[in-house]
Amino acid sequence: MTKEKKLSITIDNRTVEVRPHLTILEAARTHNIYIPSLCAMEHLPSYGACRLCVVEVDGLRGFPTSCTTPVEDGMVIRTDTGEIRTLRQEVLKLLLSEHPASCLFCTEQDECKDYQGTIRKAGVITGCRYCPNDTRCELQQVTERIGLTETSYPVYYRNFPVEKNDPFYDRDYNLCILCGRCVRVCNSVRLNGTLSFKQRGKITTVGPAFDRTHLEAGCEFCGACVTVCPTGALSTKTSKWYGKPDKEVATTCVYCPVGCTLKLQVRKSEVLDVLPDYNSALDHGFICVKGRFAVPEYVHSSFRIPVPQRITPLGYNDISWDEAIAEAAERLAGVKPDSFLMMVSPQLTNEDLFVAQQFARQIIGSDQIGSPLLYDLGADTGPFVNLVSQSSAFDVIDDAEAVLAIGFDSTYDYAPIGIGTKKAAQRGAVLVTINSCDTNLDMLSEMAFTCGTEKWSALVGLLTGASAQGAAPLFPTWKKDIAGIQGIFKKSTRKVIIAGPGLLAAPQRTEIIEKLLKVKEKGGWDIIVAHPYSNLKGMLAMGAFHGIKTGAIINENGQAEGVKGDLSKFDLTKGCTVIYAVGVSDLDSLPDCDYLIYQNALPSESQRRPDLLLPAALFTESSGTVINGEGRILPVNKAVEPYRSAKPDWWILNAIGERIKKGVMKYAQVQSVQKEIAKTIKGFPGVKKRLEFSRIDVKMKTPKGAPKMRKQGQFNYRGIPLEAVVKGMKAIEERIELISGSNRGAI
Amino acid sequence: MYKETILKKFEPRLDNILYILHELQDNNEQHYVSKEDLKLCADYLSVPYSFVHGVATFYTMFSLTPRGRNIIRLCDSPPCHLMGSGSLLDYLKNKLKIDVGETTKDGVFTLELTSCLGVCGVAPALMMNNATIGKLTPEKVDAILEERRKSL
Amino acid sequence: MNMVRNHVLISIDANTIIAGARAVEDALIKEIARQGLSQEIVVLETGSVGIEDQGVVLVVYPEGIYYTNITPAEVPELVEEHLLKGRVVHRLMLKETPKRFVITKEKTGLMKEQPRIVLKNCGFINPESIDEAIAADGYQAAAKALSSMKPDEIIAEVKHAGLTGRGGAAFPTGLKWEFASKVDNPVKYIVCNADEGEPGTFKDRLILEGDPHKLIESMIIGGYATGATKGFVYIRGEYELSIERLEKAIADARSYGLLGTNIFDSGFDFDITVMKGAGAYVCGEETALIESIEGKRGHPRNKPPYPITAGLWGKPTIVNNVETLSNIPEIILKGAENFKKYGTEKCSGTKVYTILGHVATPGLIETEMGTTLRDIIFEYGGGIKDGKRFKCALVGGAAGAFLGPDMLDVKMDFVNLREYAAALGSGAILVMDEDTDIVDMLKSVLHFFKHESCGHCVPCRLGTARLVELIDRIAASKGTSKDVEGLTRISETMKDTSFCPLGQSLILPVSSSLKYFKDEILARVQ
Repeated sequence: MTKEKKLSITIDNRTVEVRPHLTILEAARTHNIYIPSLCAMEHLPSYGACRLCVVEVDGLRGFPTSCTTPVEDGMVIRTDTGEIRTLRQEVLKLLLSEHPASCLFCTEQDECKDYQGTIRKAGVITGCRYCPNDTRCELQQVTERIGLTETSYPVYYRNFPVEKNDPFYDRDYNLCILCGRCVRVCNSVRLNGTLSFKQRGKITTVGPAFDRTHLEAGCEFCGACVTVCPTGALSTKTSKWYGKPDKEVATTCVYCPVGCTLKLQVRKSEVLDVLPDYNSALDHGFICVKGRFAVPEYVHSSFRIPVPQRITPLGYNDISWDEAIAEAAERLAGVKPDSFLMMVSPQLTNEDLFVAQQFARQIIGSDQIGSPLLYDLGADTGPFVNLVSQSSAFDVIDDAEAVLAIGFDSTYDYAPIGIGTKKAAQRGAVLVTINSCDTNLDMLSEMAFTCGTEKWSALVGLLTGASAQGAAPLFPTWKKDIAGIQGIFKKSTRKVIIAGPGLLAAPQRTEIIEKLLKVKEKGGWDIIVAHPYSNLKGMLAMGAFHGIKTGAIINENGQAEGVKGDLSKFDLTKGCTVIYAVGVSDLDSLPDCDYLIYQNALPSESQRRPDLLLPAALFTESSGTVINGEGRILPVNKAVEPYRSAKPDWWILNAIGERIKKGVMKYAQVQSVQKEIAKTIKGFPGVKKRLEFSRIDVKMKTPKGAPKMRKQGQFNYRGIPLEAVVKGMKAIEERIELISGSNRGAI
Repeated sequence: MYKETILKKFEPRLDNILYILHELQDNNEQHYVSKEDLKLCADYLSVPYSFVHGVATFYTMFSLTPRGRNIIRLCDSPPCHLMGSGSLLDYLKNKLKIDVGETTKDGVFTLELTSCLGVCGVAPALMMNNATIGKLTPEKVDAILEERRKSL
Repeated sequence: MNMVRNHVLISIDANTIIAGARAVEDALIKEIARQGLSQEIVVLETGSVGIEDQGVVLVVYPEGIYYTNITPAEVPELVEEHLLKGRVVHRLMLKETPKRFVITKEKTGLMKEQPRIVLKNCGFINPESIDEAIAADGYQAAAKALSSMKPDEIIAEVKHAGLTGRGGAAFPTGLKWEFASKVDNPVKYIVCNADEGEPGTFKDRLILEGDPHKLIESMIIGGYATGATKGFVYIRGEYELSIERLEKAIADARSYGLLGTNIFDSGFDFDITVMKGAGAYVCGEETALIESIEGKRGHPRNKPPYPITAGLWGKPTIVNNVETLSNIPEIILKGAENFKKYGTEKCSGTKVYTILGHVATPGLIETEMGTTLRDIIFEYGGGIKDGKRFKCALVGGAAGAFLGPDMLDVKMDFVNLREYAAALGSGAILVMDEDTDIVDMLKSVLHFFKHESCGHCVPCRLGTARLVELIDRIAASKGTSKDVEGLTRISETMKDTSFCPLGQSLILPVSSSLKYFKDEILARVQ
């Protein structure tokens, strides 16, 4: 690509070089020249509504807005003349004529700031709390910069009722300045279309049609509108009154395999809020409801296990870490390898998973490492992990000509994949969906095949050309549609299949997976797997999986033959001496045992009561890495100290392991774990490019005791349903139930 | 159903949205675009419901609430205002005992204001349903209302 | 062959339909048949003949007699007396044919009072008959342009003619076409703006109702010149008859091969779609109009990019007003030099005005650019009604300025009026007599703007709201002089900072009313 020629412009008598295709506002910002603005925002189409960013440009009539005027070579711009200052003040006065503004113009303003937060009955100012956004408000900042200290209009209060009937955020349109950021982000960035302007002129408002709630209107609760709102009109329920955070910590979301960047908003030892990172190359800030709203309530849940606990006939007794470690070590020492079971969650970090497998293999000498996958998928676990290992980078959607989405809906998760798909459809790629109920992609699809899961295999076979055997008669009414899609698929060269979590609810899931792998092999198709097992690739890479060694599946030069696993002898019914469950909370399904160690952050909802509770730190409280669905190693960064006595999983495993067999692990910090991993996975964790995974062939029968189709909550983290601790998620779950009814997927 | 027929008259392209909304409203017995109509339109055009609602509420010719059998749309633009539409408005409000945007209890008349009807030569003017009537006087208004009532 | 003795033109337009023109037409046809005159007398429907407030109007040719306020009851007498016996019914005749009804030289052999270019055929032909349009030189200019002129020759001619946009902005049409023709894109659109929402303006309606084929022809020429193969006419939803007539005209033109593929064997393809608005004044702004055609809320768009580079669906789009386009055939047929004979040095051609309010004979006229307000009001409009005195006129619609007596003799064209902080705008002239309450008028104008503001930008959405509060207070005699200052301050802020012309032009009525009537307004405040 040829380098674009820079333009030379003069802003306020300073001649600067800028990239072409910028607006004046963007150019000024890159050179730290302040121009006030409330509606313009990076990543949003320019809109020109607030009119505060007016400037003077030689040769242009009047006062063009800098957010809509592109720079041209040789432009002479003035951003701060007397006339401009007056105009900005006048416009701002008008803007504030319908925005309660006592936080700006109150004569007690200074005292208010000092005394706010003190709660006394009389005599002092405690602050008028009509706006939850005080001190975080862009409008306040702009007013200060523009230097407006009084207004000539009485404030007209529009008297809208504050809308509190939706989960996660409240809306007070009395504070809305109609900058249109929320409408633009909802429609142009998130491609969702929940929000629109309603009415026109002075009575314009924002919202879904009529008086529908956002939930009813198909809102994804991605919170993008709240993030971009420059006032207190939109505010997060849990953090609305909290004021400014002290710091921001970027980390990776562990709620699904996409691995979006989350910017944790931290004050003292609390994660107040979570914001997206619009500059993230991976997810572009397209985080979903889980990352945006389901973190603080989970990690600061009042149900967290505070300290290690031991069961007694009278209930649980608090014990010290020393006692806990000693007891666990004692029960584990000398346990026979085949009567030990290590159950690990695929939502742990790589470091935790690595230490867990090391614990099982090197401390206990057992390869009995299982995970909830086996319960969910039974005999289909093998084909499924193989499919996952064969999955492509997410950006294959970006230039796809055709996309086939199976059992996939991105309303409440996998948002970056969903938005990528929508974008592809908007630019002309042919999108076809298969699902048992309506999905959020149907509106943009060429064809939405809505049918029972039992027909999916046949349909996938027909559409992709994998196999047409006996399938056609199943779809008499779609004969023409199917033929049309077949034709399109045949002609396209860059095609993507998105295998969504719904796929796992199809009875012939193995058959479908086999068809997918078959067409992928033939060429032309890429596969993206959207599933709930966040760090499954990490689990496979770390070898926290029966029969697979650390690093064995990493295919460095693309030469490897593939690894073989063998779960045919894995028995989930056989009684054990000790079961060690890390981040796994469905205890009732586990086989009988003499001693059950439960290591997690929140208590299990199962009937069965573990013998020892070990409080684990969560992903906001410890550092590590995960490998996302496309094979990238992503950092998980500690933002706050662990809750009470909680410790990182690797730390606990290390401590017990050291007690049993000294000198095997000896990990003092997470970096030492990473160094150990780097011995088998070159460059870990600093590898920037995607790790290539080789094929995996797991020999298996249905493991004994694995129920074939287990119903489970839609969203969970470390085995705990999000709805159990995050209030708003309950509404989301109910909504999903309502939309999909009995068709809801098993996973 | 007539609504299906209306939709089918137009290709499912967004630029047909105003035509579709016009036809749905014109064929509605209560002269309005119902929630159901908006939803039908949204689904037919594959655009969000809120988008269609946003469009329908932007344009003043669409009503989203049921209206009376006869819609009186009095022009209140400056030319008609100059020629006395203001006092005619008061006259109509008093006579019908309703405010602008309301429907008489018996459901016979809905009173609305409209921007310039383009018949300023005969100002003040109003539209009674699809017929434009100009050179209005209180007497003429009485006669028009009477005529509409009779034709029930 | 039958010898047609008389043509009776009946004006069928929105105004005369109100007055019962359909019933008169029926009665006329029946009566003519009853008298056995069907072979000799032809009844023709035509658009407005320019008389707006005289009920049903008939014109009998070749005599050129105007009958006004005709009801079915008068029809038998009229048929028997005039059409059978040849005696003019003086009782029903328009007594004194005002100057403005004397149309063009060629038609009447009388003085050149109304040089009709745009309205040439309005009121003379049956707008629903393509044959009549063709007989009246319709499509001749298109034929000439497509078969003997190159696109750049057409553009050069239009440029040379000095035609400027008649919608209000007065941008040179030829220049716009030239820009458009140079944009390299296989898909271009030409859009005719017929969203005539400016209060007091109905010239476009009369053109659409009276001579829709002229518009079609003009768009064909415009499309050919600029390389646009698809045209859209965006008409206000309220203009039912206009939409109906234009749609019929388009269908007829298609069946005659005047629209479609390979028009005039030139290899040029062109077609037109009619789009119907739904009540939004702001859609008269070209980018809002484009948004509306696309099926969205009619918010105006950022400029740049201008429609000429990225308009409808992101393609280069030429937006021209109805009146502007209707000048094109004359320019092509008779040449730019002929066109420049009319008008002033800076603004050639004619302008269509609507004369309204307190004048003796309100109506529609076409006259040369540069005609004075005095001539329009007193010559064409018959002076102030009821012998009262002239107070002022709101020129250019709601987004225009109040002009007082000192402006009566200023030559009106787009350029000249700008020097007086006024605008010709849409050509609406709302005349007010001495008894008019200026505060009340300003209130009406401001309420109009508040109602029509789209709400997109802060100054317009909230400025109009605050202005209405101020003027309401002043009108109720509860205001203060500070409120009067507020009117100026807000409208000046709006002029400099509003997103689109809707908010920017509100300064005109406010500042002009304060210029002429400050004392009257201040007298209303404490």
